[in-house]
Amino acid sequence: MRQGLTAGLSLKPPHVAEAVAARAEGLWFEVHPENYMAAGGPRLAGLAAVAERWPISLHGVGLSLAGDAPPDPDHLAALKRLVDRFQPALVSEHLAWSRHGATWLPDLLPFPRSRAALDRIADNVARLQDALGRPVLIENPALYLTLTGHELSETDLLIELVRRTGCGLLVDVNNAYVSGHNLGYSAEAYLDALPAEAVGEIHLAGHAADPRLGGELLIDSHDAPVAASVWRLYARLIARIGPRPTLIERDDKLPAFAALMAERDRAHGILTRQLAPEMDHV
Amino acid sequence: MSELARFQTAFAEALTGDVAALAPWSGGPDAAPRLSVYRNTVAKGCADAVAAQFPTLVRVVGEAWLRDAAVLFARAHPPASPRLADYGAAFPDWLAAFPPAADLPWLPGLARLDWAWSEALFAADQPPLLADDFARLAPDAYASLAADLHPAARLLWFADGTPSLWRALQGEAAPAEAELSPEPQGLLVTRPDLEARHQLLSRGAFAFLEACRRGLSLAAAGEAALQAEPDLPLAATFADLIAAGAFARLRPPASP
Repeated sequence: MRQGLTAGLSLKPPHVAEAVAARAEGLWFEVHPENYMAAGGPRLAGLAAVAERWPISLHGVGLSLAGDAPPDPDHLAALKRLVDRFQPALVSEHLAWSRHGATWLPDLLPFPRSRAALDRIADNVARLQDALGRPVLIENPALYLTLTGHELSETDLLIELVRRTGCGLLVDVNNAYVSGHNLGYSAEAYLDALPAEAVGEIHLAGHAADPRLGGELLIDSHDAPVAASVWRLYARLIARIGPRPTLIERDDKLPAFAALMAERDRAHGILTRQLAPEMDHV
Repeated sequence: MSELARFQTAFAEALTGDVAALAPWSGGPDAAPRLSVYRNTVAKGCADAVAAQFPTLVRVVGEAWLRDAAVLFARAHPPASPRLADYGAAFPDWLAAFPPAADLPWLPGLARLDWAWSEALFAADQPPLLADDFARLAPDAYASLAADLHPAARLLWFADGTPSLWRALQGEAAPAEAELSPEPQGLLVTRPDLEARHQLLSRGAFAFLEACRRGLSLAAAGEAALQAEPDLPLAATFADLIAAGAFARLRPPASP
């Protein structure tokens, strides 16, 4: 597997010391680069300490690639500085938009998947990759709202984006599950449609029922352990495409580091069991 | 305007309340509650950022009050960038005009101090000047050299004791009742290494640093300090500010 990465964790500032001291084969850590675009200070120093010990992944939330504008050049330059400094094993962004004019909407927002939107996104991904001098991975979103105006399925749009730009895919299995549940399609069929060779990373996270609509609408809340249904989809995906670096994402109701490591070890087990038969053929 | 831009404008309007704006792309009875997922996430993102930047306010007014205020603030001042650690500079002034905070007149001051603290945490790292760097100077050099403030140094002056109140609220055992002395005070935040620290400033110490910030020579800064506070123990005050890590670099003074 790429650079020996198996299962990793979102790095949270309270866990930095434990992350540096951790012992685990294939471990790596992922951060949102936007949280580290500072001149200096303890948070950046914490990331530097972890990066000396473990591979790092930069998972951007700030480029609004599906926005009707090119990526912000200042933001691209700040991202490039972090990439140059930390030499991350993986760099990724989202199939979503967040910027509207001068306003930043801190969410990953949906859009009608028109051919014109695809053209814009492909151009933005190409600009991002040109600025960084390396390919990036693009993540499938969690969807909540049925929209009209789609000319492409999400999987066809992602496949076309890979073909045009040479980017890879970050497959968020929880997002696929949540979107399939919310919009009424099969997450299995969705994941089966993604080309194995394009998948460079996988995300796993917890979800929650919407407080108003209940179980009818699932929220990609990142505030709970990975659900059993998502683990099943994950094992099925890995059986088809082989092992890929896999992240346990957790942003809210942060548990102890050891609890996150236990989830991470479960993913590591699935990945290495999958790896073992391959090794027999070597 | 492209179709994508039209959609995004409509979506942004729908997020701020006008769900009908999205009708060409989305309808049905559950469009509104589903759109609320996005609205809630946007509001939560803003509230998380403000709560993280103003931890002393969380201690004083409680997390729920502050988050509600942050959501209202975000309507008037939405974030302009995904770097949410930069978000909230306008919050202290906004709080000063926020009617529910009218009976907490020291709240905007505490917010300004939290903001200064946060700025210090994210400022550039630089080793500060040490006592030895000054001890080497010939006596007449004080008239021909200015000391730049350290990139993480922040100084604030208040017409009342807000800095003491803020400092008391940083302790483990926060005071049950906010007590505000009427005595004017300043606060200096520094971060000479990875740990930020704070100390009170007298009128003279504040005048000294303010003169340095304006690029005056060390001799002129000393005069300004004594003018503001004739009884100031100047040498001890200067040594104290050096020890706090307030200075980064010596250079010729700015021309007056």
